[in-house]
Amino acid sequence: MTTLNVNVHYVTRVEGHGNIVVDVKNGEVKECRFEVVEAPRFFEAFVRGRPYHDINHIVSRICGICSVGHSTASVRATEKAMGVELSEQAWLLRKLNFHGEILDSHVLHTYYLVAPDFFGVHSVIPLVETHREVVERALRIKKLARDLCAMISGRHTHPCALVVGGFTHTPTERELRQMRERLVAARADMDATVDLFASLPWPQFERETEYVSLRKEDEYAFIDGVIVTSDGFTYSVEDYKKVTNEYLVPFSTAKWTRHNRESYMVGALARFNNNYEQLHPRAKEAAAKFGMKPIVKNPFLNTAAQVVEMVHCLEDSIRIIDELLVRGVREEKPAPVTVRAGEGVGACEVPRGVLFHHYVYDERGLCVEANCIIPTNQNLANLNADIRALVPQILDRPQEEVRLLLEMLVRAYDPCISCATHFLRVEFV
Amino acid sequence: MSLANSQIRTSDSGRRVLILGLGNPLRGDDGVGPRVVAELRRRGLPEGVEAVDGGTLGLDLLYLLEGWDQVIIVDAAILGRNPGEFLRFTPEDAHLVGSLASLSSHSAGLAETLALARALGRALPEIIIYGIQPERMDWEEGLSPAVEAALPRLVKEIRKHVMACSEEGGKPERPL
Repeated sequence: MTTLNVNVHYVTRVEGHGNIVVDVKNGEVKECRFEVVEAPRFFEAFVRGRPYHDINHIVSRICGICSVGHSTASVRATEKAMGVELSEQAWLLRKLNFHGEILDSHVLHTYYLVAPDFFGVHSVIPLVETHREVVERALRIKKLARDLCAMISGRHTHPCALVVGGFTHTPTERELRQMRERLVAARADMDATVDLFASLPWPQFERETEYVSLRKEDEYAFIDGVIVTSDGFTYSVEDYKKVTNEYLVPFSTAKWTRHNRESYMVGALARFNNNYEQLHPRAKEAAAKFGMKPIVKNPFLNTAAQVVEMVHCLEDSIRIIDELLVRGVREEKPAPVTVRAGEGVGACEVPRGVLFHHYVYDERGLCVEANCIIPTNQNLANLNADIRALVPQILDRPQEEVRLLLEMLVRAYDPCISCATHFLRVEFV
Repeated sequence: MSLANSQIRTSDSGRRVLILGLGNPLRGDDGVGPRVVAELRRRGLPEGVEAVDGGTLGLDLLYLLEGWDQVIIVDAAILGRNPGEFLRFTPEDAHLVGSLASLSSHSAGLAETLALARALGRALPEIIIYGIQPERMDWEEGLSPAVEAALPRLVKEIRKHVMACSEEGGKPERPL
């Protein structure tokens, strides 16, 4: 009878610290879970007592990867609380900025964090020797995405020009035209990306679950919209707690969520499954190369859905720039804010799934209450359910293979457990 | 605000120097790099020298290193010293302990970025690192008293260093 003991103390190539624990004795699964061991971070407490115009800059530091996403959800919550209306130009720039970050984060996850598993190396650095062109391509797309973000919000990580009411800086038409040329030229890299990832041997595993995402009538939703689930539920974003229903489990410092079933999934695959029809035709062509059509039930293909979204974001960025150029870009200041007491919920589809920021302000514009629910938390119960379903199917494989598959499953969710610190560890020689 | 190379001003000596503060201001002493950048900007820098808050960029540091003659990195560093003590060194002087075997995007930092740049054969600028021994890096704002107390001396020394570079137009004196 099979006996397995997999104990991955900190899964690598994920953001932050999480463990995989699997204990199988004589073919019977005793323990099987993904633990989050990070200390809670209390960002909600950080922003309490702060003025409305500081909040987005503080929360952008929640994440060094999706800081545009946190900033956007944050300003949307504040804009709703204070009744601020954005100009059409500001909306287009918000969407363009968001596409830049989705592109940036998805390149990072697909190329730097997932691809090494398929090439049998531990990180992207040894890949340079064997697949130099792959690494160079990843760096090229990533630089393009970073430059796109920097053009709009001043710098990529922790955007400074993205504020309540719009932007403090407007890109010039010349900058937009140059960016458009670069985006068009990047189609070749995107095609190569689709071909590369579509050729990889994705693990075969399926499990039914509920997929939760935002949805908009007229576009593939990233900012605002309503919450929909593949089980047929629809909620306004203000009712997000009816979906998230947070609860605690003993072995995780992160909260779990559930809705209609024991768990639900958010992220690129959820968006793909719920909003496939609104993807750009080229993104649908990319999906066809992976053999993907909704409903895709293989969580490993979340990474493939990210590749599909990369194509969508590139194409939609070109479309948005065209729209901006046709309209004519004008220097604009952020919409004025009339400070008032109020409450608002901002919801965005950040790279890893739907993100909620909920603030309550007093009449001085100081934040008195805040709640942030990040996608990774919403995925934890689902990831655990996947692990429990996958382990019995692969018990007959060597322990190392079980370990690798479970690590790959965790990575497929692109979990963002925390933003680790960044200090140097130095030994003098 | 973009860091496109065309926008970088050139100093009188022709040397372009970037001071890059790394870290997260919401993690206690990890925020010393961005804090030093803010202080340097407040006091003003010579022509051709720019100070940038690099936050927690990971491997994207690679792009920031491009196009400069010298990059001065300011970062919290585990030096085995007392909190607030700082050292100036080059990557060659020190063994920067990275996690190449388990690269994650967040914990990827300077050591990994330099390793990637070398693997790709990219030309790198001269790099000087100011490492400051932190006391605590919990989720909190502001620096510990020990690091806060060391700040004026650190800022003064970095300013002296870039002023000397700018005036002499040559290489700074040998790092510690």
